[in-house]
Formats: sequence, structure tokens, C-alpha cells
Amino acid sequence: MIEVKNVTKRYGKFYAVRNINFEIKEGEIVGFLGRNGAGKSTTMNMITGFIEPTEGEIIVDGIDIDRKPKKVKKLIGYMPEGVPLYYDLTVKEFINYMADLKLIKHKEKKAAVEKAIAETGLEKVQNKLTKNLSRGFKQRVSLAGAIVGNPKILILDEPTVGLDPKQVIEIRELIKSFRKNHTVILSSHILSEVSQICEKVIIIDKGEIVAIDTPENLEKDTEETQKIEVNVEDTNNKFLDIKTAINSIKDIKLLETKTDGSKVYEIETGAEVDIRKDIFSECTKLGIAVLELKKQESSLEDAFIKIVQDRPEYSEKEIAKMQYDKEIEELRQEEAEKKERKEFKKQAKKEEKARKKASKAEKKDLKSEKGGDK
Amino acid sequence: MFAVFKKEIKSYLLSPIGYIFIGLFLIMFSTFFFLTIFQSQVLNFEYLFYNGATILTFITPVLTMRMFSEERKNGTEQLVMTSPRSITSVVLGKFLAAAVMILITEAFTLMYFFILKYFGEPSLTVALSTLFGFFLLSLAYISFGMFASSLTENQIIACVLTIGVFIVMWFLPGFNENLAMFSLIQMFDKFPTGVISISEIITFVSFAVLFILLTIVVLQRRKSVK
Repeated sequence: MIEVKNVTKRYGKFYAVRNINFEIKEGEIVGFLGRNGAGKSTTMNMITGFIEPTEGEIIVDGIDIDRKPKKVKKLIGYMPEGVPLYYDLTVKEFINYMADLKLIKHKEKKAAVEKAIAETGLEKVQNKLTKNLSRGFKQRVSLAGAIVGNPKILILDEPTVGLDPKQVIEIRELIKSFRKNHTVILSSHILSEVSQICEKVIIIDKGEIVAIDTPENLEKDTEETQKIEVNVEDTNNKFLDIKTAINSIKDIKLLETKTDGSKVYEIETGAEVDIRKDIFSECTKLGIAVLELKKQESSLEDAFIKIVQDRPEYSEKEIAKMQYDKEIEELRQEEAEKKERKEFKKQAKKEEKARKKASKAEKKDLKSEKGGDK
Repeated sequence: MFAVFKKEIKSYLLSPIGYIFIGLFLIMFSTFFFLTIFQSQVLNFEYLFYNGATILTFITPVLTMRMFSEERKNGTEQLVMTSPRSITSVVLGKFLAAAVMILITEAFTLMYFFILKYFGEPSLTVALSTLFGFFLLSLAYISFGMFASSLTENQIIACVLTIGVFIVMWFLPGFNENLAMFSLIQMFDKFPTGVISISEIITFVSFAVLFILLTIVVLQRRKSVK
């Protein structure tokens, strides 16, 4: 549905986005993750046609946005960051205007506007001025403006920012409901939100894509150790002995001693083993009562931090060298292509000559045959 | 184009801006009307528009300064620019809406014509040629105001730039007579005499077209540099 190929956006020497590549399939809900200024909005703005990439191409539904921007823009519903609205218009007028901007036919406009209002739950406030609405409703109006006309693709930039928890849940549910009819791209800082809504996550850092995968895989891949929290009644202080009994335990830490005398330990093991049963049976042998035992799940947050922290910090010099190397490589490729083209032309000329010679020889033969007949 | 035009007209008429523009113009125009009729004892409709052109020089930004600056500042520019509408249709829609506001204002000034007609015999043809010239001058002014608005997200800067350039153009002939061809007000001065000059019409229209095109270029270019 969306193909982003070798896209770079440069402002002078500063790279907002550097050589990014990814593909989004029809019906997917994809989340863009990244710190502030990582390049999420720039990427989204390029897909919507709001800004042009310095290099590379963006293909939406088989159409190059650079060649046919109007066609591509018809396919996209965009909700920009910060919920920009026309405050002198009512909700219905605003959505009507959005429908007009999207070139929705006059006959279909009324139904499309009503559908967008119904889907976003704006019926009660449709005649209110947008400036008098609460932040949650403003967000809904902006969403309604994006979905009016049922575009194939929805691009939502920070759709839940600035909302209270109840409103966040409402908007999330709304976005989830779009899954059936739209391909959705959303950006967010809130990792739990992305892991709840999205099927695929694209992590951008310093203008480069550092990971593309499902939230579950990202969590698993970055998990190096596993932690188990155990609350035990250990009057004889024997709990630490289980470290000798179970080989796969790497470390045991006492986290706290509770007021009832029970102790909470944290056991660290390798990521792939599950020793919960072993802990339980060893504790029984040692006469320790296990009050609680739970495995700590690693979150997308851990994955994100790990991926982003592991990235090297490039100095100005290194960036310049990378750029230089890239340019040299491009020049080499150009040279090679030129050579290839020359050789191809030579070859073609040779073949042409040979063909001419052959045809001449044929003609001669024919003539001599005719002469012979006479 | 019609969608943007409709929305802009709505914005002018639903917000105070349209009324402020028409109101300001008519208050100042009435003041000049009073001064001309009662103090100078001149019964002439078209002469009023010499003052009208001066008023327009200062109040055109009321209509134009928000055109693109406000959209850019509020972020609604993203809604318009990511829609399938072309930049040209957006620019023309906004330009025409402002032109219609001028026409409405001009229609109001006809009341002075009828007041004068009650007491004397003002020439209708000269009045119409004056109104036509005034409209052309307004188109030229709006196009520049719109261009200034496309350059910045700060409405005040757009306003000051517009008035500043108009004043400089006004006084250009004072520096050198050859520069009179750049003074729009001086060109307008022919119309209240009942002369409809082709060269003036062409100048006003080309000025308007030039700045409409420049606005389109500025907005188009911002896509690659923003």
C-alpha cells in the first residue's frame, strides 16, 4: 500500500530523515515511535505530500506521489499534530469544508459528512463552534475531518496527545475501529498505546529507521534476561541456597522485607528458560513458604530504550565521512554505468556492422546465383 | 476554488474581520464625504474616491494579512496543502473572496451617490468608471497583501510589509518622475476624471496577476524547503 524507498529529507547540512526504507501493507495499523525530533512527523508529512523529500520516492497504492500528488492525496486522510481546526466554523461546517477540500462529489457529500460525524460520536456537538469544544472533542473533530470520504489510508500524528486518560481510551478505541476499512499510520510517544493498537512498529531515531517489527517481537528480541519476583516466608534465611540448587539462576537480589516479615527477592535468569516450577519445588524442599511468584514481562518501553540507547552517537566528522563515502560510491556506480553503456553501444555497433555485412554477402550471393542462371 | 472561496467568505462574514473592514472604510469615507461636501462645498461623487484610495492603502491588510499567515500559524495550512486541491485553486479562492468583500464595500458607497443625486446631478458614467478603477486598484492591493501574507506566519509583519510597500509606491513619483509608472494611486487618478485608460487597466491587472503567481510560487516552494 505504501512504499517508502531511500527517502532523505535534508535542510542544508541537517538530515531530518536519512535514507529510510519501509513498506506498509493494506489494512495494517502501523506505529511510528521515536523521540522528539526523531523524524516521525517529517516522514508522515512526506507521505501526505505536505513536504517533498530531498531524495527518494514514495509510492502509495502504486502511484508515485511526486508524479501524481492529487491522486495520492485523494487516498489519504490526515490528522496533523496539534489538532489544527478553523475556530470560526462549527463542527459540521468544518467537516463539510474538509469534504469539499477532498473533492467529494456533491451528491455523496451529505452522506459522507453524516457518516464521519456518526463514526466519531459528534452528533450532539455538530452545531457548536469548534473553538468552544473540549480538547477531546476537538481531537474527534480533527479525526472526523481525516476520515470523511472514507480514504484508504489514515495518517494520524500524535492522536492522543494532551488528552485525559478517559479521552485517550475513547480515541484509541475509535482508531482500533478503523482497522476494518483503513490502513492506519500513527505516531506516538506513548509506547503502551502503540503496543496496544499497532500490529507493526517502526522505530525512528535521529532520522534513521532502527527497527521494524511487531511489538511482541521487538519485546522478545531485546529481552536478554528474565526476572522473576518471589515473595517468600523465609524465617531461617535459606532462600539464597536455591541458587546452588538451580543452575540457571544468574543472580538473586533482596528487594524488600515486608512488615509481616516476608521477603521479596528478584531472581535473574537467562531469557529462554522458565524456572518458576523449579523455584517452587526447591522452596518446598527447603521449607520456605512461597506467598507470591511472578514473572516480570519486558515491555515495548524496554525494547525502545534498548534499541535507541544501543545506537552509536555519530560525530559531525563521522557524518561527513559517511556522506563522502556515499558520494564516492555513487560516482563509482555512475562510472560503471557509463562504461557499461559505452560497451553496450560498441557491441550494438559491431552487431549492426556484422548484420550489414551478412546482408551484403547474401545480396551478392543472390546476384551471382542470378548471373549463373542467366 | 469554489470551496475555498465559500469558506473564506463565510470566515469574513462570521468573524468581525469583514465588518471591521467595511465599517472602517465607510466611517473614514463618510468623514471625507462630510468634509468635502460641507467644508469644501464640492458636490462630486468621484472626487471622494481620491480619499477612498488613500483609505484603501491603509486598510487593505485587514482583509489580506490573515490569508496565509493565520493558516500557517494555526497549522490549518496542513489540512489545505495535504488535500487534493491545487495550490492555485486555494490562492484564487482566497483572492476572489477578498475581491467580493471589496465589491460589497463599493456597493455601500453608492449611497453617497444617491445622496448627491438628491441634491444635484452627478454623472453616472464617471461614477461607474471611478468604481471600476477603484475595484482594479483594490485587486492589485489585495494581490500584494496576499503575497505578503504568504511570506510569514506573523500577521503583524504581513500587515506592516503591505502598508510599507504601498506607501513607498505612493511616494515614488516624488523621487523621480519616471517612477510614476510604479505608483498605483497615481494611475488610479485618471479614472475619476471619466477616462478609462487601457494602459492603466493592463498595469493593474498585470500587477494583480504577478503577485497571485508569486504567491503560488512561494507556497509551492515552501513544500521543498519547509
